[in-house]
Amino acid sequence: MNHDFDICVIGSGAGGAPVALTLAEAGYAVVVLEKGPWLKETDFYKDELACCRRSVYTPELADEQHVIEDIDSEGDWVGEATAHSGWDFWNGNCVGGSSNFMSGFFYRLKPVDFRLRSEFGPIAGANVADWPISYTELEPYYTRVETEVGVSGAVVAHPQAEPRSTPDYPYPPTLEHPMARRIDASCRELGHHSLPTPRAILTEPMDKRRSCEYSGYCGSYGCSSGAKGSARAALLDRAVATGHCEIRPHAKVFKLASNTKGKVVAAEYFDANDKQQKVSAKTFVVACQAIETSRLLLSSTGPKHPNGLANRYGQVGRNLLFSAGGSGTGDFVYAGMSDRDAAALKTRGPFVNRGLQDWYTIHDKAFGERAKGGTVEFLLRHPNPVGKAMSVKRDDNDRLVWGRPLQRQLRSLFTDAQYLRYEIFCDWLPTDNCFVSLDSHVRDKWQTPVARVRIGYHEHDLKVGRYLNTQATRLLDKMGARNVRSSVSGSPPQNLVAGGCRFGNDPETSVLDADCRAHDVENLFVTDGSFMPTGGSVPYTWTIYANAFRVADIIKG
Amino acid sequence: MNDRSSALSRREFLQRLALLGSLLAGYPVALLAQSRSAAQLQQPPEWRNEDPWKTLAAVQEHMFPAAADIPGAGDIHAIVYLHNTVENPAADGEDREFLFNGVGWLNDLSRGKTGLSFVALDEPQREKLLRQIEQSRAGRNWLSLLLTYVLEALLADPVYGGNPDGIGWQWLAHQPGYPRPPADKAWYKLTTPVRFQRKA
Repeated sequence: MNHDFDICVIGSGAGGAPVALTLAEAGYAVVVLEKGPWLKETDFYKDELACCRRSVYTPELADEQHVIEDIDSEGDWVGEATAHSGWDFWNGNCVGGSSNFMSGFFYRLKPVDFRLRSEFGPIAGANVADWPISYTELEPYYTRVETEVGVSGAVVAHPQAEPRSTPDYPYPPTLEHPMARRIDASCRELGHHSLPTPRAILTEPMDKRRSCEYSGYCGSYGCSSGAKGSARAALLDRAVATGHCEIRPHAKVFKLASNTKGKVVAAEYFDANDKQQKVSAKTFVVACQAIETSRLLLSSTGPKHPNGLANRYGQVGRNLLFSAGGSGTGDFVYAGMSDRDAAALKTRGPFVNRGLQDWYTIHDKAFGERAKGGTVEFLLRHPNPVGKAMSVKRDDNDRLVWGRPLQRQLRSLFTDAQYLRYEIFCDWLPTDNCFVSLDSHVRDKWQTPVARVRIGYHEHDLKVGRYLNTQATRLLDKMGARNVRSSVSGSPPQNLVAGGCRFGNDPETSVLDADCRAHDVENLFVTDGSFMPTGGSVPYTWTIYANAFRVADIIKG
Repeated sequence: MNDRSSALSRREFLQRLALLGSLLAGYPVALLAQSRSAAQLQQPPEWRNEDPWKTLAAVQEHMFPAAADIPGAGDIHAIVYLHNTVENPAADGEDREFLFNGVGWLNDLSRGKTGLSFVALDEPQREKLLRQIEQSRAGRNWLSLLLTYVLEALLADPVYGGNPDGIGWQWLAHQPGYPRPPADKAWYKLTTPVRFQRKA
């Protein structure tokens, strides 16, 4: 049987690109179908409107949206379309996906994350499961990502450090903001171990990519130097250069067609002119980011798959994960500081790059039994000026603020202090109340059902989040921060999403096998964050990259 | 290293230095005075003196008044920014229609209460009227939208018509990021088709 390609990859982000590169380098004919446009370094500027205030990198919600199902005060689950609520769940629909816009805080999972159930036992109301692979099996691929994508950092001794097979990172750490020294000093006093944050940011040029230019505008922005390790800059440009990989932007796959034997035979998509197209291949790899991956499988019914691909036991979409935790901020007020200290804190460009993992596993009687904890990551408040100004547009009584009071508040907000923020990452426990299904009413502009996402969380997540938050606020107090405020909630961060197609050894409770191949579809793999049965307590991207390289090796054979 | 980076580095390095200098010196009143006297020599575009723009500009001035050391709505070209934004072909027209309709409602209310259109009111009357329309949901949304566009005019990149010469950034000692967008890379030119959507 003739195929257009050996491998068809759907989605060009961190899950798809390692597969495209590995297989193109091995000489396979690869096609990558990407829903969004193909933007390059020459399209990325430090333009707040483009990055954050207009829908340039994500669809217009009237055209493509989600329905978010949340619990109301009566305890009922109620869905609301995001075009109505404005709560945008898209993260970057363009070649390279949302990795173009990440901050690139790169942490590995730790061995304990692969065996949460065995280490800590079951938690009532949560579907905690061990992974079918161990840290040892993924470790070589974490290491490979350090050189393939480019990770900068410095290994330091740490009580909860994960083992690694090489002594240090291939790139030295990024330049550091003077705030980092203040964090280190207070951590020493409190007996904490502040860690230099590994970043997917080049500190030395690599091939055609330049090293970081320290604009001070990184997260949410596309990188104009190529230093950020996006799937596009780090991997896809190289995949295309092999001559074996074709990228088709504006190709929105709406169905994987399967035959009477149950194998996938074609990816059907709409092109830039909304015209239906299809491409055939021997092997299909889905990596559309967790929510859209589950949606595509559920939408892809066939003679052997009446309820959607790989959904024989109704597992597709279940056990969706976000990242639990919260965030906080403290003010470092310039008044009363020496001019030199104030000038140092005003520095824009270098990174704070400090994290705390002293409570990655919590051993504290005050908390209870030994438990899985998480990571606290420090960063300056995002410098986007319009976004910042919008925060004083309303007063505490929700009245609009204008005239001199507005101007006074703006001056104070922008010129009185530097703001140190922290973000808490802890496990979002998988539960029966967090899953993806197809909405029965709302359709996208191509008239296909949109994903309906129930976003329930487990109370235990808040307990862990609050514990970490107490530690983080204590540190900010120690540092002399004023007006320390924080929040821990069960509201999902839409940019940190995984699960929905968990891998495991039992086809009745998992969608994929240990190789991330669908249990009941021999030529279908899923390589984005969907495979994760539990998410760990760090941002997902490094693990997604590493696992996708692992699966690529398996497909390569 | 490609051409773009080396072309960028020297020129922008100098710009950065200049800007940093002005930041360290605090916000220069002289600079604002200078830009105002330069602006006086320029003829405003015709649309500026007709409604809905005339009223919208008056509301903007009330929301963001000028002082000797504060750039007002006129200084930051808030009305030019608003005009560029809602008359942009990439705009979907909903905001535009809402803003224009609001001008009609505001002036109807103003005439009903005082016999005068909004632009003819003095400052306390304007404040009273705007706080009054803030009580209704539509009025509040209308004011909120206008205020958002004033803040964008103050702090978005000058390529969009507001914040001339980075005057808003200078006032707030804000250091912008580089590289900055050239005119042919405005957000609505990056991908086709991009239609307008304002984010919350």
